[in-house]
Amino acid sequence: MRTPINNSPVARHFHLPDFCTAGSTLAVVLIVELVALLLTVARQPLQINFWVDLSGNSLFMLWQGLISSAVLCRCRAWLTQRPVTQAYMLTLALIVSIALLVSECIYQVGQSTTIGLLEDLFPSQHFMFLLRTGSIAFIVSSLALRYFHVTAEWRSSVELEAQARIRALQARIRPHFLFNSMNTIASLTRSDPARAEEAVEDLADLFRANLSEARSWISLKEELEIARIYQRIESLRLGDRLKVEWKIHDIPLRALVPSLLVQPLLENAVYHGIEPLSEGGSITVSGSFDGQLIELSVTNPLPDKATLLLHTGHGIALDNIRQRLQLAWPGQATVELQQSIGTYKVIMRFPYQDQHV
Amino acid sequence: MSDTHESIPLRVLIVDDEQPARERLQRLIAELGHYELIGQAENATTALELCQQLQPDVVLLDVRMPGMTGIEVAQHLNLLDEPPAVIFTTAYEEYAVDAFEAEAIGYLLKPIRKEKLERALQHAVRLSTHRLQQLSNHQAQNTARTHLCVKRGEALRLIPMKEVRYFVAEQKYITIHHTHGTDLIDESLKDLSVEFADSFIRIHRNSLVAENNIASIERDPEGQYKIYLRESTESLSVSRRHSAAVLKRLRGVHEE
Repeated sequence: MRTPINNSPVARHFHLPDFCTAGSTLAVVLIVELVALLLTVARQPLQINFWVDLSGNSLFMLWQGLISSAVLCRCRAWLTQRPVTQAYMLTLALIVSIALLVSECIYQVGQSTTIGLLEDLFPSQHFMFLLRTGSIAFIVSSLALRYFHVTAEWRSSVELEAQARIRALQARIRPHFLFNSMNTIASLTRSDPARAEEAVEDLADLFRANLSEARSWISLKEELEIARIYQRIESLRLGDRLKVEWKIHDIPLRALVPSLLVQPLLENAVYHGIEPLSEGGSITVSGSFDGQLIELSVTNPLPDKATLLLHTGHGIALDNIRQRLQLAWPGQATVELQQSIGTYKVIMRFPYQDQHV
Repeated sequence: MSDTHESIPLRVLIVDDEQPARERLQRLIAELGHYELIGQAENATTALELCQQLQPDVVLLDVRMPGMTGIEVAQHLNLLDEPPAVIFTTAYEEYAVDAFEAEAIGYLLKPIRKEKLERALQHAVRLSTHRLQQLSNHQAQNTARTHLCVKRGEALRLIPMKEVRYFVAEQKYITIHHTHGTDLIDESLKDLSVEFADSFIRIHRNSLVAENNIASIERDPEGQYKIYLRESTESLSVSRRHSAAVLKRLRGVHEE
């Protein structure tokens, strides 16, 4: 009985600003004016009637821009429900069609106008005019959409990182573990000062790793060392009850990983899998490497009464690891949980990488 | 500090699943001087046995232990004719007990300070069943007991809930039918049905059955439902009032 519970996919999002707000309208006006200016300046040679030209262009493009804003404002809710690529395509199509529609109207008005003075302002070649406005609208709106998308992605990644950092500080070391370790040290101080000293050093190393930058990268070798330090501290307290099997000979130890992937999982395994068993049990940390992906897993026994608690308890640390893997390798790393009768397994898969990007 | 401490030292039992924690308490008690350490237990079962054999005055009881929590141990201890006073020890306040409450029930945070231990020992009092129930309600998880404790003569016996097949309410007591026979307890069927609502079904005003012990449910010619138990020829009747709920719950289980 295997139940894969979660396979974190990377969600790509459709980022379209809300055009119903004054700020967005102002942004549209500014973009339109900049493009109008660009087009006017680019005209060879710079004519004497520069200002007339500029106002003509502005007027024409403001129509397109503002109508597009209005339509997108109304369609936003509908667009965001569509798949991401489709939504972007539809948005582009909407903008281009509006541009064509406005151009067509302008052309028709130009054809029917009889005032000679204004004739220069209106286009004369029907098809070429539509093609030009259509492609300009397409290029400008593609650029704008790309800009909105990238900014929004960047913003959400900054937010994610900040959240991950805060959660990391809150959730990584269980207070339970800290106080139990302090108690163990208090006990060893008299009975076995040498081991107490060692325990203090280990605890210091563990906290140093925990307090370092949430996004720092370390080698897998160092990462596993932190997990071993954690195991040493817990062994003082739990004695023979805690056994950890390390099957990690196949993985490249120089691979770089975001720090603290393994230790929090080991901590969960001890808390939920070993502590509730009076006779103790065995945790397995194993790894494999297929040339591209590294797979690391932590397996612990599952006492029957803990079944219900696992999801709540494991949740925080797992979310944290999942988020950090996502930040490190967007779309390429996964975290999977497998629960079967009597055992609980967390599997992480991520690409091999041996130098900083 | 009164003279009584020096003349008849309080007899203390330590219960903790971690060896360093036991060692430290042992040393602190030795340093305090006027207390006699009479034993140490590393799990709940041993703790209950030692309490019966040695009859300590005070038990220092770790809250988070494998198998059975310290709070459950205390609940069972209260069945003794002369229950010991209990002081809980824990590494972390997971039971949402505020400071005042902690003082009242004797609740020490690890690493325990010698002065605090001394004060707690001086004020150690027996916990009322009511208090324990309150404390048990504070527990976020597993409020249901893992064992039932029964008295056979002077001795306390633990019956794991896994071995309980069904309860039948007699006039004054409740008979527990379990895999090794029957025992009597002095509790109410209503409370039991609330506490073990996850795994037991009320099938009659006077009976409560372990869900995973039910082999089948059948209807006799008079329209009365009967429940047949696993590995047994026994059957229990389902009252009309409970039959709808019983059927619904059993169906839910099979459909999952």
